[in-house]
Amino acid sequence: MNNTFLSLTIAILFGIGTFLILRRDIVRVIIGLGILSHAVNVLIVSVGIFDGTRVPILSGSHNATETASSVFNDNLAEGILSPVIQAGTHIDYVDPLVQALVLTAIVISLATTAFILILAYRIHEEYGTTDIRELRRLWG
Amino acid sequence: MISLSDHLPILLIAIPILTSVIMVFLKGSPVLQKNLNVFIYLCLVIFSIMLLQKVWTGGIMVYEVGEWGKYGIILVADLLSSGMVLLTLIISFLSLIYSLDYIEKRSLNSTYHSLFNLLVAGLNGSFLTGDIFNLFVFFEVLLLSSCGLVVANERGGVTKSSDKMEATFKYLVLSMLGSIVMLIAVASLYATMGTLNMADIAVKVSAASAAGPLPWHIFAIALLFIVVFGNKAALFPFHYWLPDVHPTAPSPISAMLSGVLIKIGVYGMLRVFFLIFSVALPMFQPLIMFMALATIVIGAVSAVGQTDVKRMLAYSSVGQIGYVFLGIGMGSTLTIAASLVYLVNHAVAKSMLFLTSGGIIHHAGTRDMHRMGGMIKSAPLMASMFLVGAMSISGIPPMGGFIAKFVLFKAGIQDEFYLPVAIALLFAVFTLFYMMRAWMKMFWGTANEAENHGNAASHAPTLLMIIPIIVLAIIVIVLGLYAEPLLALAQATAEQIVNPQPYIDAVMTRNVR
Repeated sequence: MNNTFLSLTIAILFGIGTFLILRRDIVRVIIGLGILSHAVNVLIVSVGIFDGTRVPILSGSHNATETASSVFNDNLAEGILSPVIQAGTHIDYVDPLVQALVLTAIVISLATTAFILILAYRIHEEYGTTDIRELRRLWG
Repeated sequence: MISLSDHLPILLIAIPILTSVIMVFLKGSPVLQKNLNVFIYLCLVIFSIMLLQKVWTGGIMVYEVGEWGKYGIILVADLLSSGMVLLTLIISFLSLIYSLDYIEKRSLNSTYHSLFNLLVAGLNGSFLTGDIFNLFVFFEVLLLSSCGLVVANERGGVTKSSDKMEATFKYLVLSMLGSIVMLIAVASLYATMGTLNMADIAVKVSAASAAGPLPWHIFAIALLFIVVFGNKAALFPFHYWLPDVHPTAPSPISAMLSGVLIKIGVYGMLRVFFLIFSVALPMFQPLIMFMALATIVIGAVSAVGQTDVKRMLAYSSVGQIGYVFLGIGMGSTLTIAASLVYLVNHAVAKSMLFLTSGGIIHHAGTRDMHRMGGMIKSAPLMASMFLVGAMSISGIPPMGGFIAKFVLFKAGIQDEFYLPVAIALLFAVFTLFYMMRAWMKMFWGTANEAENHGNAASHAPTLLMIIPIIVLAIIVIVLGLYAEPLLALAQATAEQIVNPQPYIDAVMTRNVR
């Protein structure tokens, strides 16, 4: 149920973003890009929440065989992909890695959005308009 | 005992980032800033030679940032990445020297040095990283810094400010869309495979394909990656931003963009498709080959119709990158080696051509080829240098471009790709045509006595602008006359790409704590 709403939200965000970047106004294109990048951010976070509270990087029997030196131990045959969890531990958190990823993505989109907003301001100064159809000086 | 050579991969990324910060603080003393930056680039070139030599003799080098093994960020230097780093640093060193006299003083002192360092850090980082999300981060670093560099002003003001704004806007919007697509692909890959380490993903994909048919979204992700890297490399349906951005950038930056930055797409394609999606590769090779051929045709045909010299060079870059992808699309060891040789030759020759065109347009005061003419008398050096570059790009024997084209077509014929090679050969003739036409238009014909053809102030190239061009010309000729070392290196690199098992072993069999 939760997953359905999440997917729907992501889909609607992508739809709005795509609609906006196809507009003729520069500012709308920029807003569209912002919405698209946030749709991607929600998508990344949704990768971490998977089937209730389970961690997506664990599948199969959830258990890593604990060795003496290391808790990292892949076992592809049993479907254990990335067990940072020791054997028999009850898992009750979402994947922390996706949150680190999304934090990085947010910071990067902040930087690019800031740059493109300044660029839009300069374009408005140079051309006196924010209509994309007027931006044809490179076409000869 | 900390030995320098063990830390080369991180040094090649950390030093440019650190320098970029230092350059901001040295704004007040331009001479110190200039000299320090040149010195640091000299060091970086030496480091990258050391790295390549170490990888060549000692095998693939894995550097852990932190001690998390394959769960953290790792840097991997194999022959492909260290070779690309060396190429990047040679070209950026020469571009830096060139830009000291080419860029307007105020622009140079304030932001240029910092952004240039960040660009190189982004390039080195994306070549060296072994982590697919980190690849995205470095893509963004080099995207933003290159956008900042494209709007830098050159002396004389040949390119209008509004042109720069418009080109950068196109570039930024398309690149942001590309990064959004890349994030979707990375997130889906992570959701499917549960790891971000490229070697680890490769192991898991091959394990999954051994267990049964691959999940369908692996193929969708592979297609998304074609979009991402095609966008970076200006492959056919995604190439529309390039002919606007590369000409409007200042010439040393055009050299960096056309010489190295679009090669990031080639590198990513080689890395992601031959390492991660190697099981799905046979399905995508015809697609890559088709896109490459379309790129060759579009690039060559569009370049013929250009009057702006730098715009023609940019369209020629589009066409030439198609040849590189053609070798990747054929996909055997020989053709990949050939496309690597092509890549190096194109990088050197195209950087040289862009630097030369910077000298030419500063001499003529315009970028329009119709308004130039008879400049062989007033600018004989630029004329001969442009001829060297043009001959290399169009593949005339003593130059490196001939070896590259020859090796590529020979490898293609050996693998029985007759039709693609025939198309590529036909449009190679187009390359010869538009390059020679441009040369004749600019340097032959009636001399225009008043040298100042355009509105911009014209001036002769200084010594600092001439030296990098001559060095690159020497490299072009040496690559043509003595091609064996490059061919051997490309062959070894291609073997490493086609058989990624040593790479995977080097990354996976680390002692994790």
